Amino acid sequence: MVLTYGTHGPALAPSQFLILNLILVAACFTLLCQPWMSKKKDILVLVSITLAAAASRILLEPFPNVQPVTLMCLIVGASLGARRGMAFAIITTLLSNIVLSHGWWTLFQATGWAAVAFAGSRLSLIVNNKLAMRRLVIASIITSVLFDWWVSLSIYTTGMTLQEFGIYILNGLPFDVVHALASVVSAFWIAPWLANLISEDRAISESAHIVGEADVVTS
Amino acid sequence: MIRVLVSVGLLVCLLVPQHSIADHNPSSEQIYWEVDLNNGFISTKPMIIDDSVIVRTSDFWSGDDRPKVYSFDLQTGNENWRFTNNYSINHDVSPLSFATSSSGDCGSWGDMVLVGWTDGKVTALDFESGELIWQSQTEVVDYGITGSMVIDQDQLVVPTNKGLSKFCLADGSETLRVDLPQKGWRNGITLTDSGYLLGNEEGILNHVSKDGIVTSQEIGEGKIRHAPLVTTAGVLIHLQMQSSSGIFVDGELVSTEGSSPAIPIQVGNKVYLGTNTEVLLLTCEQSCNVTGRTDYRTSGEIVRQHIPERVDRVWFSHNSQDGGWSYGTPGQNLTSYETKHNTFKTAGPGFSEDGSIAFGNDNGILMVFVGQISNTEKSYQTHDDYSMDFDFGLLLILLLIISAFYFQVNANEKTVVKAGLLVLLVIAVVVLPDVSTKWSQEVSKLETPTGDWNESWPDEWQDTQVLVIELPNETLVVGGYSDYNTVEELTEVAAMDLSLIVEYETTDIGIWITSIGGYTGSGWEFTVDGTRSNVGISLAEIDEDSVVRWTLA
Repeated sequence: MVLTYGTHGPALAPSQFLILNLILVAACFTLLCQPWMSKKKDILVLVSITLAAAASRILLEPFPNVQPVTLMCLIVGASLGARRGMAFAIITTLLSNIVLSHGWWTLFQATGWAAVAFAGSRLSLIVNNKLAMRRLVIASIITSVLFDWWVSLSIYTTGMTLQEFGIYILNGLPFDVVHALASVVSAFWIAPWLANLISEDRAISESAHIVGEADVVTS
Repeated sequence: MIRVLVSVGLLVCLLVPQHSIADHNPSSEQIYWEVDLNNGFISTKPMIIDDSVIVRTSDFWSGDDRPKVYSFDLQTGNENWRFTNNYSINHDVSPLSFATSSSGDCGSWGDMVLVGWTDGKVTALDFESGELIWQSQTEVVDYGITGSMVIDQDQLVVPTNKGLSKFCLADGSETLRVDLPQKGWRNGITLTDSGYLLGNEEGILNHVSKDGIVTSQEIGEGKIRHAPLVTTAGVLIHLQMQSSSGIFVDGELVSTEGSSPAIPIQVGNKVYLGTNTEVLLLTCEQSCNVTGRTDYRTSGEIVRQHIPERVDRVWFSHNSQDGGWSYGTPGQNLTSYETKHNTFKTAGPGFSEDGSIAFGNDNGILMVFVGQISNTEKSYQTHDDYSMDFDFGLLLILLLIISAFYFQVNANEKTVVKAGLLVLLVIAVVVLPDVSTKWSQEVSKLETPTGDWNESWPDEWQDTQVLVIELPNETLVVGGYSDYNTVEELTEVAAMDLSLIVEYETTDIGIWITSIGGYTGSGWEFTVDGTRSNVGISLAEIDEDSVVRWTLA
């Protein structure tokens, strides 16, 4: 209901948009290509999940702060590692914001979810191919709220006092609660399925492939 | 499988557009159609003539878009024709007029739609085809024609920006021109036995004889924004003043009322008036006295629906985010008549003798109910979109609880937890708008206003409500107001006093101001006493000494 703030921080000029896009796209390439090029199969899995995540953001746009992407970032980070997880976060944000509107806030959303994915890769959310559900729920609540506060920084402009910004954050608490709750729901409904999907695909792609027959000569 | 079904069911339920359930549902005996003109506001009442509905649009125009006059088939809603004025770029608020075919000293004419424009033109359009029959030009100072015109035998009498012009209905030739020193806005003309009456923005009532001789009377400090009414007690003016209004009869103050007066009408010895807070009934015999008042907010056209021996009603438009139209007599409860697209509106409804009604609102949506008046009356008295939405949310929650219960019975604890969490989420989403609004109001109490008083402002504005609007090239300040409770109320009244048009956009989470005085930018932001508000304009409360400041985002 913060209609008075109206905007999402400073409006960007076309050249500034270009720079922002270049930074985000370059970050994706770097993350996906380093330290080695991903296998085609990995890329396919990543692309599929990314499209699904972007679509979910667009589909759920009418519901304020219901964002399963936060949970998905944790799972992808935990399953595919920090680099792939962060790339997933950035691409998902860019793709969905093409529809939902793109601007200065995209930088904060992309970096925010990338940080969530990084956290997912470091929190041992998947142990022995099994989800640590308790840990995942706690992580999803904390990262959801922190993500919201981080994105709120996008409206922080010169002239706004710290007290005003604090009030703004306080004002958004009901929305933070909904985000956290939606992430918990996603943890129960989506996380097991998503983690299985990624681990199964990786297991298939990493298994030995038989490419011919061997003749064994015994003496 | 069940889990998947529950998920899909939930998703489908959530994605069903809620308004489709809450839609207005006309009775089967009545034809209803609507059309979104996508062309600015409908600020003046539509006309229903024979089997056609004629309506005009208004806005501050930029780009290629321009105001239009449309004709639609009453029965089908099919467009008959449209006429575009490519040169009118300001709000066109002069009501449409209709001239039936006839003849006079200056010639003969067919059925015509007569239109006054803010670019100063008067156009006569063929009723059947919409083709331009004639047009004449009047002066433009800030605006051109904004008041109601009147037909006097074979002449069309037009209130121009700084004067009065008469045109022959047959060919549009000017037969009388009177220049006046004061500018007018929505200053309709009244025809009397001896001439014409019209007011202006300086509170002067001018009487113009049929041969152009002017006599003037100062009514008071304020603005006359309606056609004067001639009663048995004298000429009645509802004067718009700084933060109130005054009802004057023959220059004598009868009553001081609320702000933003509506355009009054007279029915016999009764006069119907409206303000930002009330609708009023005056009975005029030897003098005029207030004989009825009802709480209501109207600031546009008041119109009479009269079908002999069947219906005689006076209608008021409820100019608020969620108000519809109402009819009735001040002093008694009004009967509300809400439509599918309730939003801000100043246009009164248009009527036909068969009971059809045409409504137009600020979103440019024309809604037409064709046919029997008794059905419309019954069907549309009560309607509450919000309660329907809320019932829908309850239904969804109930569905999920039943699902959880089912899984519980079947000893599937994991699924019970999942369904329970979904119930919680749905409840959270449903109650979020209300919770966040109340929360924001509480949070706003933590803020310490920094104050926004400027020492250069007049001393008499101290301890009154002041509005500041920072336009790109100038800052407009107006003060001396009192008794307004919200930013929305003060802004609406003060902007009107500054002759600025404010455009609103209504969303699910509140009202935005999208444009002030034609300036849009990236939106408008406001502060109250130097502090940003945490709530929207409808909920942002102000004190008796508050300073509201609007700036472009």
